[in-house]
Amino acid sequence: MLNILVCVKQVPDVDLVKMDPETGNLVREGVPTLTNPLDLNALEAAVQMKEKYGGELTVITMGPPMAESTLRECLAVGATKAAIVTGRPFGGADTLSTSYSIVKAADMLGKFDLIFCGKESVDGATGQMGSQLAERFDASQITGCLLIEEVNEEEGYIIAQREMETGAETVKATLPCLLTVEKQNYRGRIPNLKGKLASKKAAIETFTENNIDGLDLNKIGEPGSGTIVPRIYPPDLPEPGQIIDEGSTEKSVAKLMDMLAEKGAI
Amino acid sequence: MSSYNKVTPQIADQLKAVVGEKRFFEGEAIKPEYSHDEMPIYGKYFPEVVCEAETTEEISEIVKICAANKIPVVPRGAGTGLVGGCVPLNGGVIISTRRMDKILGYDMDNLVVHVQCGVLLQDLAADALDHGLMYPPDPGEKTSTLGGNVSTNAGGMKAVKYGVTRDYVLAMTVVLPSGEIMKLGKTVCKTSSGYSLLHLMIGSEGTLGIITEMTLKLIPKPIVDVSLILPFPDIASCISAVPKIKLANLDPQSIEFMDADIVKSSAAFTGNSVFPQEVNGEPVGASILVTFVGNSEDELDLKMEKLAEVAEETGAFDVLVVDTPTLKKDVWAARSSFLTAIEADTKLLDEMDVVVPVNRIAEFLLFTRELGDKHDIYMRNFGHAGDGNLHIYCCSNDLEEEEFLRRVKIIMDASYAKCVEFEGQVSGEHAIGHAKKYYLKESVGDTAFNLMQEIKKVFDPDMILNPGKVCTYICE
Repeated sequence: MLNILVCVKQVPDVDLVKMDPETGNLVREGVPTLTNPLDLNALEAAVQMKEKYGGELTVITMGPPMAESTLRECLAVGATKAAIVTGRPFGGADTLSTSYSIVKAADMLGKFDLIFCGKESVDGATGQMGSQLAERFDASQITGCLLIEEVNEEEGYIIAQREMETGAETVKATLPCLLTVEKQNYRGRIPNLKGKLASKKAAIETFTENNIDGLDLNKIGEPGSGTIVPRIYPPDLPEPGQIIDEGSTEKSVAKLMDMLAEKGAI
Repeated sequence: MSSYNKVTPQIADQLKAVVGEKRFFEGEAIKPEYSHDEMPIYGKYFPEVVCEAETTEEISEIVKICAANKIPVVPRGAGTGLVGGCVPLNGGVIISTRRMDKILGYDMDNLVVHVQCGVLLQDLAADALDHGLMYPPDPGEKTSTLGGNVSTNAGGMKAVKYGVTRDYVLAMTVVLPSGEIMKLGKTVCKTSSGYSLLHLMIGSEGTLGIITEMTLKLIPKPIVDVSLILPFPDIASCISAVPKIKLANLDPQSIEFMDADIVKSSAAFTGNSVFPQEVNGEPVGASILVTFVGNSEDELDLKMEKLAEVAEETGAFDVLVVDTPTLKKDVWAARSSFLTAIEADTKLLDEMDVVVPVNRIAEFLLFTRELGDKHDIYMRNFGHAGDGNLHIYCCSNDLEEEEFLRRVKIIMDASYAKCVEFEGQVSGEHAIGHAKKYYLKESVGDTAFNLMQEIKKVFDPDMILNPGKVCTYICE
C-alpha cells in the first residue's frame, strides 16, 4: 500500500491575465482561477499508481482559502485526502519558502513513498519546486517522467522513463522518490458525477502558521524567501511586420522589390 | 431560363470605380478559394470578378451595374458553407463581404446589437460576452460570417434551448437584385404587420437579396454553466436519453451526440482523447454531451443529480462532469473540431444535414450506417441530438472520385427518401445551396417548390442573384 503525495497549485487563467501598463503589476482581479494544468498530469500519474498498487493519495496546496476548490477538483478524480497550507504569513513566498512550508505541513501527514509534482506552474514557471521538495523530503527524484514502469514498495524502488533532449532514458530510483511528470502519458481524467458530488462534501485539513509542528516563522512567506522581484515588465517586442497587399501577387512582389531596393537590401 | 452576359473590360472599369483598384480582382488575381466552399466535391466554378465591398452603398452600386448588364452576382462571406451556396455557378461577379466586419454598436436598453454582415460569429460572441451579454446562436463553424448565418438560418449547439438564428434577427438592410436598398423589420420584439419579408429573406441564401447589415437580439449571459458527458454502449440507448432529459424539465442548453468513430477521429486529430472510448473495459458506442446553464451552483447541482437518474435509467456507463475552465476548453474544442478532424483524414467527403424527429434519430443513423456498409463508404456521425439535426458524413480514402460520387448518390437518394418517410427536413442548418435542391424538391413537393420559384421571380425576374441555388436551375 503506497502513501502518495501530490503537490498542486491554483493559478490564474494566464490567457486572461493582463499587465497594468502603469504599475507593471499583473491584474488578477476578476480573472478565473484554475488548477495548474501540468499538476493535473502529476495527479493522473498518482491516481494510476494508487489504482494499480492501492494506498492513500493526499493532495496538498499552499494558497488562499479559495485554493480549496483546486483540492476538491483533485478529490473528484481519485485523491483520498486533501490539505491546504494557508494564512497571511505564508504570503509573498518564493519557491524556497514555499517548499519549506509544504514539507513541514506534509510531515504532519506521515511519510510518503511517492511525491508527484507538475513540471512547472503556468504562472511562475520556475520549475524549481520539484527539486527543492525532493531535497527537503530527502527523496530521490525523477524529473521529466514520461512513464512509470514499476513501483516495488517491498524492495523500495521505482523504475520510470524520463525525457531527455535526445529521447528517453529508463532509470531506477530508491523510494521515497519525487517525480515531476510530463503530460504525454498522463492526461488528466474527467471526474464522474459521483466523485464530484462527494468531493464537494469532503473534509479538508487546514494548516496555518499556528498548527504546523516546528515551523520556523522566519523561513515562511516573504521573510523566508531567498529571492525578491523588484519589477515585472513586458519584454520589448520587435517592431511588427508589414503586410504588403497591393491587390495581386505581381503588384505586391513589385512593391516589395521597390521597398527592398529603397533600403539598399538588393 | 435566361442567359447572362460576360464582364467586359468596360463593365470591369465601372466595378473598379465602385470599390477601387485594391479591392477589385479579375482573372488570375482571383484566389482559387473563390471557386468553392468547404465542400469542393460539389465542383469548382470561378467568378470573372471579385469585388470586396465595404458598405451597403457599394454593394448597391455593384448590383445595379450587374442588373443593367445582366451579369450574375453572388454574395460571399467567409466561404465556410457546405452546400456550394456561395459558389458562382455561372461566373459573373462575387461580392465578398469580408471587409464589412464592423460591430456598429450596442443598444443596451433594447438588448440588441447592430452589425455589418461580414462580422465573424466568433468575434460577435466574444464581444457580446465582454458587454455581459450572449448571442445565443452557436453554429459549429465559428469563423463563419453573421451574414452567412442569417442567409442560411444557421442553428448550432444551443438551438435546443434558445432556438436558431432566425429567432435573433429583428431587422436588416438588404440590397435587392435591382440594386435598391431596403430596410426590413424594426428593433421591436413583436409584429403582426403583414407578410414577413424579413423572415423570407432569412434563410434565402442570397437568392432574393444581399443582407448587408443586421440588428440582432441578445440575452444576458448565463452566470454559471456545466457540461456533462454521458457515454453509452450504443446509439439507441444514447438517443433514448434525449426525450427523457427534456421531460425531466432540465432545460439543457445543448444536447450533442457523437458516435465512437468521430470520437476516435477527433482524438487522433487533436492529440487529446477527451471523450471516453471505453469505460471499465467496455467500449463506448456513442455519447451525449449535455450543457446546463443557471444562476447558481446549487441550481446546477440539482440538475446534475436529476440527470444522473436519467443516465441510470437509460443505461449510461457513467456521468462525467466538465466544470473547470481547462476541461471546458478541451471538451468544447474537441466537439468543435469534429468536421475539421474528418476533413483532415478524408480524401473524399460528402455530407447530409437532415433533421428527423428525435425519436427516429437512432433508426435513421442505423439506416445510413447499413447503407454505408453495403456500399463500402465510411460513415461518421455527430450532431444536435436535442433537436434531431444530424450531421452524417460519407467518407472514402480509397475510391476514385467518380466511383465515390456514384456510390454516395445511391446512399444520399435512399437516405433523403427515408428522411421524407420520417417527415424530416432536408437541412437543419447548412441550407440547400446547389447541392441539395433536388432533394428539397422531393421533400417539399412540386407545389411548394414551384411557389418558391415564383417568389424568386418576383424578387429577381432576370435571375441575376446567386443563380442556380435553392430552387432555381443553372441558366445556360
